[in-house]
Amino acid sequence: MNKNLLVKILTLLVIASFVLAACGAPATEAPAEEAVTEEAAEEVATEEVVAEETGEEVEIRWRTRPDNQEEIDVYSQISTELDGELDGITLTYEPGGSEGANYQDQLRAEIAAGTAPDVFWIPGTDVADFATRGLILNAADLAAATEGYTAADFYEGPMFHLTYNPETGASGDGSGAVWGLPRDVSTFALYLNLDLIAEAGAADPRELAANGEWDWEAFLEVSQATRALGSDIYGYGASAWWGPYGVWLNASGGGFFTEDRAACALNTEESLAGLDFQRSLYQDFDVAVPYGEDPEPAFRAGKVAMFQNGRWATPGVRTVDFNWDVVELPAGPNGTPGNWLFWGAYVINANTEHPEEAWALVQALTTAQTQGKISALGANIPSRVSQEALDAFLTFTPPANNQAFLNGIAPAAAPTAEGPLWAGSWPEFDKIMGPAIQGVLTGSTSVDDFGATICDEANKAFNQ
Amino acid sequence: MTAQLRIDTQTSLNLRIHTLWRALFALLMAASIFMVWSGSAETSLWQKVLLSLVAGLAAMYSVYGALQIEKRHHAGRMATLVLDYLGFVACFVFVLNAGEFFIGIDALGENFSRGIPYLGITALGYFLGMLEEYFPNKKTTAETSLKTVSRWVMLGGFVLFLWQVNTLNGVTFFLGKLVQQPSALAAVASMAIFAVSLWSMNRPTVAQALNVKTGHEQIINGWLFLSPNLLGFLIFFAGPLLLSFYFSFTDSDAIRTPNWVGFDNYAKILNIKFVTLDSPDQLARDVVDIKVYDEVGRFTFGNTGILFAAADKFFWLALRNTLTFVLFAVPLSVIPALILSNILNSKLPGMKFYRAVYFMPSIAAVVGISLVWQWLYNATIGYINYFITLGIEFWNNLFNVAVVDPKIQWVSDENTALFAIIIIAAWQTMGFNTVLFLAGLQNIPGELYEAATVDGAGAWDKFWGITLPMLAPTTFYVVSTTTIQAMQVFEQVFILMNPPEGPNNSTITLVLYLYRSGFQNFQQGYASAIAWVLFIVIFGLTLIQFQRQRRSSIYEG
Repeated sequence: MNKNLLVKILTLLVIASFVLAACGAPATEAPAEEAVTEEAAEEVATEEVVAEETGEEVEIRWRTRPDNQEEIDVYSQISTELDGELDGITLTYEPGGSEGANYQDQLRAEIAAGTAPDVFWIPGTDVADFATRGLILNAADLAAATEGYTAADFYEGPMFHLTYNPETGASGDGSGAVWGLPRDVSTFALYLNLDLIAEAGAADPRELAANGEWDWEAFLEVSQATRALGSDIYGYGASAWWGPYGVWLNASGGGFFTEDRAACALNTEESLAGLDFQRSLYQDFDVAVPYGEDPEPAFRAGKVAMFQNGRWATPGVRTVDFNWDVVELPAGPNGTPGNWLFWGAYVINANTEHPEEAWALVQALTTAQTQGKISALGANIPSRVSQEALDAFLTFTPPANNQAFLNGIAPAAAPTAEGPLWAGSWPEFDKIMGPAIQGVLTGSTSVDDFGATICDEANKAFNQ
Repeated sequence: MTAQLRIDTQTSLNLRIHTLWRALFALLMAASIFMVWSGSAETSLWQKVLLSLVAGLAAMYSVYGALQIEKRHHAGRMATLVLDYLGFVACFVFVLNAGEFFIGIDALGENFSRGIPYLGITALGYFLGMLEEYFPNKKTTAETSLKTVSRWVMLGGFVLFLWQVNTLNGVTFFLGKLVQQPSALAAVASMAIFAVSLWSMNRPTVAQALNVKTGHEQIINGWLFLSPNLLGFLIFFAGPLLLSFYFSFTDSDAIRTPNWVGFDNYAKILNIKFVTLDSPDQLARDVVDIKVYDEVGRFTFGNTGILFAAADKFFWLALRNTLTFVLFAVPLSVIPALILSNILNSKLPGMKFYRAVYFMPSIAAVVGISLVWQWLYNATIGYINYFITLGIEFWNNLFNVAVVDPKIQWVSDENTALFAIIIIAAWQTMGFNTVLFLAGLQNIPGELYEAATVDGAGAWDKFWGITLPMLAPTTFYVVSTTTIQAMQVFEQVFILMNPPEGPNNSTITLVLYLYRSGFQNFQQGYASAIAWVLFIVIFGLTLIQFQRQRRSSIYEG
């Protein structure tokens, strides 16, 4: 054969294969396939063969935001297992990027392009924005037709928002709205460097908490004692976003919004008192890692005595080489620690071609069994209200004092559920609030000036 | 003579068919305009206008082509080739889309990469076949067997390759998708028609009949070679550019059908107010309608002052930060580059190594660089503060003084955050600018320096009198491109700062703000307006630089 002709034919064939390779299904089902046992793989293969024979298989793509490779592996394994359990459904798990890789931005772009998965996870603050724009499916009818489903199986805070009907203002079972089901919940605790606290001779916060003496004053004493250990040692550290600073406002009886979540409440006396106490930690007492600096590397380097973070930080902290544990947040002037109940939800793409199957998957992803497997990683707490699930969570050590997290979400602690703004735009509100509070905590704006102007600006985020 | 007559008859028939095809094509285009306006209500106005414009132009050009073919003019051939080529490409893309090629990137990445090793076997077989050329005294049987082995190896490798890239699955899926969609089948048929038309019009007899000259052929070939780039430019750059201009007059959220809002977006951006204050600490709400305006800043003098308020304060803060960034980052990445290039232009040993070293930051990924700097800047455990502390301790011990460690909060203090970004940007851009200056320096004739030396000029005189003026075109290019780049600062801020806006909005920049608006707050229309205002600002700055360059250019006149 003529060489040139041969080369041309080969080139054309390679190009054609290139095109066709893109059209074919991926050769492997999931990135973590190696993690699946041979038996499980055989089962899956059998299921697929059966499904192909019956011709009733529906492909459902789903995505959630993992924080690390271990979580990706667990979610992949769960996807494979559920694929075998759910009749007529073939699952494709797509690990989303981490927060740093802009999971939400990528998801929004895919929704706009019409290529988003059938089921995906979004943070609680985004639910209203997605629901009111018609991006996620209202699964109320599907939920009503589901035997045994009730919102009461999950924590009340998340379900209030996930069943909120913006047209009627009703919430809960029968409200006519179910925007999704919570994947998990989390809350803040203080990760303690026990070595530093012991070296400073300060009281053990865990004992203080057990004795009911763990309040702002006690917290400040421990912070100051450990800060005195050296100019590069800090008593307290927290990241720069709304969660950490919000607890101080909540704990003093204030908060971001009015009770009906329809207006700004950052300028109330209680909110300003909470903010002022937090400011004093940074400016007056100088016990905190400067606001805006990432405190996690410093904590892991053994230079921060108390690091405020959620359960999701546990896997990372488990690698440190000093003695550590956790304690709940200190109680504020109103008697509660003002903690958050963080959550995110599995929601259904409004444009999915298979809503019933997608709803089946959402339910399967939020069973106690599935949540238990994910919680075993240590990064989060099951979102189902179940003593069994909570008992299992306590066994996922370290930290030894896992109870601190459960105390944070217990009704007695009156945590404020993270939530969307049905009457406004959360991203807009956050855009105004974040830099303004940062100005206070870094000392460039006084609390009085903040209080005098913040709600003039922040109220514009409502009814946008 | 008979043969010539027969060719003419065939050609004449061909041309008649082409005329009819062009007329039919024009009719189809006209009909598509009608369908666009009478069809789905979900098609937005901009899509209807755009489709009508394209179809209308194609119809007119097709009619023109038909007339020119009838006149036996080469313009008719050009019209046919252009329209049919574009039609073919459009149908091809449509078919690929219908077969879900463009959303199969994951499958492509996984499947195709698995097959690549087997392509190696095919290549091995090919080279095996070539070995025969290296056996001058080969025997026929050896040659034959080598060729046979080569063919079988190639064939085997290729079959394995096709199997590994899941070709059968791909073919089944692709054809399955096409069969399900009548429009896809119509596109396949159209592709065939366009291809036949192109082949027919490209025949020498047809070209001769239409009086095509070599020059015309060269023009067509030129456009053909240019077309991939040109089409890419039009579809992926000019198209979105114009689309964003349209979106800037809408309330687009990238999901729902956008509504026309006229100049509302621009009006909001440019709605500003300067108000005199009765006292320096008078609240904004006392002097402006706080439901519309926010305070951007205030200028105080004595017992009074001026309040600067805007309907969108974030835009003006972003503009202020961006201009501040440009003001510092451009000189800091140009002047040191100029000095460095003069040093590296010397013939000292090891200069090539240093040139490579200084260029390295330019080729490193911005994300990686920003993450490294994030660690360096960390106020508690970062190396920069660590070395500052060591230096101060050393100084204090040496001179028995008590200089206070500043413990600079590089990224968490609003006074230093933007400066931290400027340092990274200047450090990263300097190497590339140095290379540009080096190229400029090497173009300066050595005779000028020799003459200056003879005249007794010193190093400074030579630099000031020869190097700088002769480098003026390079300097202009470097300053212009660095300014444009600096106006678009985004990645460093986005990665390094947490939150990206920085303390008290001290690092919010225009591109960051438009990104946040468009991709995080569902305000694509408003983000597009910001982008166009940014374009105007960059264009204005570049224009000023051009004018200054013209005035001072040594090459003028």
